[in-house]
Amino acid sequence: MNMHLSGRTGKLFYGIVTLVMLVVWAAAPGPSRADEAACREKKPARLIRMAVEYPGVVVPLGDDVSMDVIFTNKGRSDEDLDVRVAQVPPRWKVRLKTYRYTVTGVHVASGEEKRITFEAHPSKQVTPGDYLFLVAARTPDGKFKFRRRIQVTVRRKNTGNDEVKGVKLTTSYPVLRGPSDAKFEFSLDVESKLDKDAIFDLFAKGPEGWEINFKPAYESKYISSLRLKAGQSSSVAVEVKPPPQAPAREYPLHIRVSSGDARAEATLKVVLTGTYALDVGTPNGLLSLDAHQGKPASLSFYVKNTGSAANNDIKFLSFKPENWKVTFKPQKITTLQPGELKQVELSITPYSEALVGDYAVNVRVAGEKVEKPLEFRVTVKASSAWGWIGIGIILAVVGGLTVLFRKLGRR
Amino acid sequence: MQGFGAILRKELADHFSSYRFLILFALIAMVSLVSTYMVGLDIRHSLEGAAKPRFVFLLLFTASGVGFSLVQFVAFFGPLIGLILGFDAINRERNEGTLSKLLAQPIYRDAVINAKFMASVFIIALMLVSIVLVISGLGLIVIGVVPGPEEILRIAVYLCISIVYISLWLAVAILFSILFRSISTSALSMLAVWIFFTFFVSMGASAIAGALVSGSAADNPAAIVKSARIQNAILLASPMELYNDATSTIIDPMRKTTRKLLQVGVMEQISMSRFSGPLPLSASILVVWPYIVMLLALMLISFGISYAVFMRQEIRSL
Repeated sequence: MNMHLSGRTGKLFYGIVTLVMLVVWAAAPGPSRADEAACREKKPARLIRMAVEYPGVVVPLGDDVSMDVIFTNKGRSDEDLDVRVAQVPPRWKVRLKTYRYTVTGVHVASGEEKRITFEAHPSKQVTPGDYLFLVAARTPDGKFKFRRRIQVTVRRKNTGNDEVKGVKLTTSYPVLRGPSDAKFEFSLDVESKLDKDAIFDLFAKGPEGWEINFKPAYESKYISSLRLKAGQSSSVAVEVKPPPQAPAREYPLHIRVSSGDARAEATLKVVLTGTYALDVGTPNGLLSLDAHQGKPASLSFYVKNTGSAANNDIKFLSFKPENWKVTFKPQKITTLQPGELKQVELSITPYSEALVGDYAVNVRVAGEKVEKPLEFRVTVKASSAWGWIGIGIILAVVGGLTVLFRKLGRR
Repeated sequence: MQGFGAILRKELADHFSSYRFLILFALIAMVSLVSTYMVGLDIRHSLEGAAKPRFVFLLLFTASGVGFSLVQFVAFFGPLIGLILGFDAINRERNEGTLSKLLAQPIYRDAVINAKFMASVFIIALMLVSIVLVISGLGLIVIGVVPGPEEILRIAVYLCISIVYISLWLAVAILFSILFRSISTSALSMLAVWIFFTFFVSMGASAIAGALVSGSAADNPAAIVKSARIQNAILLASPMELYNDATSTIIDPMRKTTRKLLQVGVMEQISMSRFSGPLPLSASILVVWPYIVMLLALMLISFGISYAVFMRQEIRSL
């Protein structure tokens, strides 16, 4: 089809193509390439920079300061630098280090960045205030020299509980529940944050009459102090024994661990649910009684709540021979407060054909979560009414005989 | 009481000099000694395995060595002693004509029968006491166990009951000797009474109980109990049964009832075995007190009847 184009139209087409090509050329990256060349020419032969991560920090009293020192090589050649801490306030210990070494020199390759760690550790005598550290670095030929300031402001720690100094006390289970006669064992983790070995004294303050002892974990001896190496932590068990009569409620316990200034406190809580204990017996301690066949014999016994929780619904059960009758008055005790004493009337009726002799009648006092047995020895006696009747018969016979003697005698 | 002492002394002298008495006494003493000796030999065997035997001494009287314990022996043959001592008390005097001679003396008539009865009771007591003492002495040698106060008291009570029991038979024998003029008649009728109460009552009791309680009693506990009750009620008519029950309970402290058949529930058994101990003597006596009263009353009534009959009898005619 192009063969049919006229000679004029062909010229125009050619012209457009040429124009487009020109435009494309103009937009080509010719000028950028020129720019890059210019840059390379601008980069110096040697250029290195140094910076500290945080030139000013605020730390609580006793805490370490740790931050990075950053070196950047922007020159064309690799560089070595000597680094040191030029100025150290008194009673501070400083160190420049990598994750592995204490560092006095550092190599920074061209175009790279390098970080080392600056670490400052205050001694115990350090007081709150401003402290100035100077980190200095220089190339061996002295062309580059840097001095960077690190301003450390030490603030007194807040008196809040969560601020710990030197020792940390943690427990996973700060609240324990149980009956008053149980033994409670808290597990405490004591973590030393001191930089040297120290002996920590252990104190506990609880309600009066409570027995609180410290034990090493999994050992059964009582301790009152604990030796910990720097940074070490150890688990200590706190064994708590409430007095058996402690009423059911919550009891806070204060635990303190201290060594010199370092101290930590923790509050533990024991929730007593109360104990269930009953005491049964007779007022005079006598557990035997006499009974006649078919006749009720009664005895009273008391039920005392010796636990620390109220005992509800105390029932009485009896184990007795067949055909015997054992009744209780009252039939059950609805509620018995701690320390309260109630009397129960027990009536035992032996079977009318029971043999004479001793029988055992067992009574169980079953309260809430506690049961007490009581064994009575019932001596069944033959009714002495027959004895009197017998004597009466004999007297009648003897009387009859006497009358006979009187009437018929002396013949 | 005029003449009572004299007749009593004379009666005792008669008794002690009679061959009949000597033979009887020798027989009873011999049987008692033999049986006790056998018990003494056997007692070690029966005490084997007992953790803490109590009342060992009483075993001398209750354990059956050659089939008869002393208690059983007295229950069975004791009536014969009473019978032999009393069956000819009055009618022999009458037959020999000595009664009217005796009453011709300044002696009240009641003194005669009283003294005769008392003399025989005295002989019975003497006999039993000496037998028991001999057995006790022999027991001390053979088993070497000293009786405790409780055991001595029990033996004393046993002796009293035995004396009353034999005296009851004595009173009946005297009554027969008053009623029947012929010695042999009174002796035979007395023997008949003895045989009746000793053998026939127990046989008849089981027969009547079997007849009253319908057929299949073997597997029916209620029927067994009922039958045992009927049997026991009939048996109690026999003085021998009264005596047996009374003495076996007195002499065996572990025995708590006179009933032969006992229905004990499981729980009752547990309850009882908890304090399985012997009864105190007072409890034992209370258990058998009705029996003792019955024996004593029967003895007194029998004597009273013979007294009344003797006092109203015409004796001078023959």
